[in-house]
Amino acid sequence: MESNYLLAPKANHGFICKIPMKGTRQVYVVNGHIQGNEGGPLALSFPKGECDDTMLQVIFVRTTGESGKISGICMSCAPSEKADDGGAIELDTASSIEFGEDCSKKLLLCSHTFTPDRFLTRERCEINVRRGANADITVMQNENNRSVHLTDYTINMEEGSALKMIFISLHGGKISNKLKVNLNGEHIDCNLKGLCLADGEQHMDTEVLMEHYKPNCNSNQLFKYILDDKAIADFYGLIRVAQDAQKTNAYQANHNLLISDYAKVHTKPQLEIYADDVKCSHGATVGRLNEDELFYMRSRGISLHEAQLLQQKAFANGVLEGISSRELRLRMESLVDSRLRGEFSSCRNCSKNCC
Amino acid sequence: MLTINNLHASVGDKEILKGVNLEINPGEVHAIMGPNGSGKSTLSAVIAGRDTYAVTEGSITFEGQDLLKMKPEERSWLGIFLGFQYPTEIPGVSNVNFMKAAINEQRKHKNLPPLGPAEFLKLMRAKMAYVEMDSSFSSRGVNVGFSGGEKKRNEIFQMAMLEPRLAILDETDSGLDVDALRIVGNGVNKLRTKENSMIVITHYERLLDYIVPNFIHVFHDGRIIKTAGRELALDIEKRGYDWIIEESGSKNGK
Ligand SMILES: Nc1ncnc2c1ncn2[C@@H]1O[C@H](COP(=O)(O)OP(=O)(O)O)[C@@H](O)[C@H]1O
Ligand SMILES: [Mg+2]
Repeated sequence: MESNYLLAPKANHGFICKIPMKGTRQVYVVNGHIQGNEGGPLALSFPKGECDDTMLQVIFVRTTGESGKISGICMSCAPSEKADDGGAIELDTASSIEFGEDCSKKLLLCSHTFTPDRFLTRERCEINVRRGANADITVMQNENNRSVHLTDYTINMEEGSALKMIFISLHGGKISNKLKVNLNGEHIDCNLKGLCLADGEQHMDTEVLMEHYKPNCNSNQLFKYILDDKAIADFYGLIRVAQDAQKTNAYQANHNLLISDYAKVHTKPQLEIYADDVKCSHGATVGRLNEDELFYMRSRGISLHEAQLLQQKAFANGVLEGISSRELRLRMESLVDSRLRGEFSSCRNCSKNCC
Repeated sequence: MLTINNLHASVGDKEILKGVNLEINPGEVHAIMGPNGSGKSTLSAVIAGRDTYAVTEGSITFEGQDLLKMKPEERSWLGIFLGFQYPTEIPGVSNVNFMKAAINEQRKHKNLPPLGPAEFLKLMRAKMAYVEMDSSFSSRGVNVGFSGGEKKRNEIFQMAMLEPRLAILDETDSGLDVDALRIVGNGVNKLRTKENSMIVITHYERLLDYIVPNFIHVFHDGRIIKTAGRELALDIEKRGYDWIIEESGSKNGK
């Protein structure tokens, strides 16, 4: 079996992604079509037994630029007239990713908009993690704040496989990630983390349905939101443990940090357990910045603004520290830092530079 | 340097400071002693700018400037430092990042460029040695999982990093064993200069063996009821506070 993904460095007309670290290969998917290929939707397959530490980066781009030409335009620039005339520019797309038996691979999925139009993307993404495979996926979502991106993930895991999937959502009018995770074999390890930073009128929505069908599996979920201005977040999580799934360990947590008085979060973590020998827990917290910590920092000369940032970064760190590639982690930390400082929304930092 | 005039402060309806007067000149060390609950920590928090307490009357000036108009960070930039009685834990913010942010903001307000990573580490190592702090502390969360003594040493370490003009040490000696007390005492002494001043809040004579004060003030019920020289600490150690309170006639709010 061979990998059917294409490396298409030629496809980047003027846009150079700054994330790649040494050894990272890139695939561009422009408006749902792989560049430099026959133009079909993304279908990745990592062959059986292929193990390496290098990363493959898939860059989903929505653009109204000519023939998929990617130009780096600031996300907060005025929208083109074209977009204002009609409604949203819609796209329905499906992708599939397969981690072959006993393979071990790292994948980075980025999604961006490169024109300031109002895009609506509906994506179905199927991920199969075969027996004994080890999948490490980081998802970076950074689109303009007029766009809506709704993704339905179906993740099927087989016996002895492991998945670590981390979502970092920075910009986007509405970002919705719905995950159905089927743990179809024994001894599966599934680790999901998410960090959403939202301000303005952004809406972030996460739904996780974790299905434990078989015994001896572990699942762990940690989703964190930092919400400012009038941002809204929804979190719905359900862990369902079937009668057969004894010795399950399943955890789920959703923690929220509200910066403004107008930000809102609706959180609903749930458990449905039909087996008797399991360890499960779930919980949600909603908090604000800690006054004692702020005063302590300020008494050392750290300005209020900087102290608030330090606290938010400390909160975000619980997710970011899970990124296994050190280089990628540092890169994400600095993106989160700029995001919290509001730097992306100023014109001197257009989307060309943010990733 | 620091002038406190008829300072009154309260939380809600409760008045805690009831007319504090205090004058501190460059190079002086003032010890404040007094029973628990008399308002010593409140006084230090008000000087540092904690807004939990509302100042209802009186003034605080530092080198001629009105402190009460300033934010906590502005007071720090002027050179005021508070060593907390109960240092705050900040999970997720490492000691090193915390200090880097503090030092670089201090430098910004002195129109100095930020310290480079190598210079910063060198400074950090040198100052950690002052309080015999292990280098493993730098990567740990600020005060998170530190023992009582380690937290107090961390306060003195931060003081050494920031080199304040006026340091207020609020019960930095409480809960320290003999070794830790020696470390803290020596650390503080290394930072003493002819220009810098200190307010040392303590219950114990023993710290004052290390940091010899020019004046001792006894605090009771929100104000200073007695001021004397170093020898007063020995009397207090032997006889407690009651005789001073009686002498001052303030016991029944007279
Ligand atoms: N934030 C607060 N809210 C309510 N009461 C307080 C607060 N801070 C201090 N107090 C009260 O003020 C009095 C003085 O406290 P404190 O300044 O801590 O005294 P000391 O440091 O001398 O032991 C105490 O009665 C204490 O309970
Ligand atoms: Mg106290």
